[in-house]
Amino acid sequence: MKVIIELFGASRDFSNQNLLELDVANDSTIKDVRNKILDYLNINFKGNENFIKIVHSSAFCSNDNIISDNYKITNNEKIAIIPPIGGG
Amino acid sequence: MLHTKIIDVKKRKLSISLAEEFISSSDYGASIFFSGTVRNQNNNKSVVGITYDSHDALVIKSFEEIYNETNQKLKIEDKAVFIEHAKGFLNLGEISIVIAVACKHRDEAYVLSRYIIEEIKKRSPIWKKEHYLNNESNWLKGNPIVHEKD
Repeated sequence: MKVIIELFGASRDFSNQNLLELDVANDSTIKDVRNKILDYLNINFKGNENFIKIVHSSAFCSNDNIISDNYKITNNEKIAIIPPIGGG
Repeated sequence: MLHTKIIDVKKRKLSISLAEEFISSSDYGASIFFSGTVRNQNNNKSVVGITYDSHDALVIKSFEEIYNETNQKLKIEDKAVFIEHAKGFLNLGEISIVIAVACKHRDEAYVLSRYIIEEIKKRSPIWKKEHYLNNESNWLKGNPIVHEKD
């Protein structure tokens, strides 16, 4: 199944399309999605260390709620990656 | 009474005057206006501008939560609060955030204003990309939002 990841902040540098569309196994969780993003970065950015740090320190959000690592994804679900924040 | 908005700076700039209009009331004896602006130096680098990014829905939700919790945490129930944050590219000196508060007395107005900006810094999903004189740019390191991990 597919998951669509909206990119924000520093994670926008992961793609020039402001989102990633990744194939994940059925019943995948956020933890699995995090690992899929790391795989994507290893393939496309040679494991860029800064990008990997961003993924490890990011939260994820669905329907305007922060979700935990054991949250189960549904097919074609759109989630957002929330890197470390600092506005104002 | 609360006003919150994320402003696309291509459409309009942030201003204190709208905030003043919103919080103005003879019910309140103290008003505080806070504005954050883009400064020309950070970490020994010459900054020429900042791009602000935002998860708009989560940001507005965080503003509302911060406002609502001040009833209990600060015991400030009677208040007017105006919060706007910019999204997009800002030049030096331009306003990135306006927080205006009005309360009955100055003590609570100062406490409320400070509380709101500090909580926004910790909890609102907003990001800054600094642009430098040498044409480089960099997303600033922030603080992770607290989330549950297995």
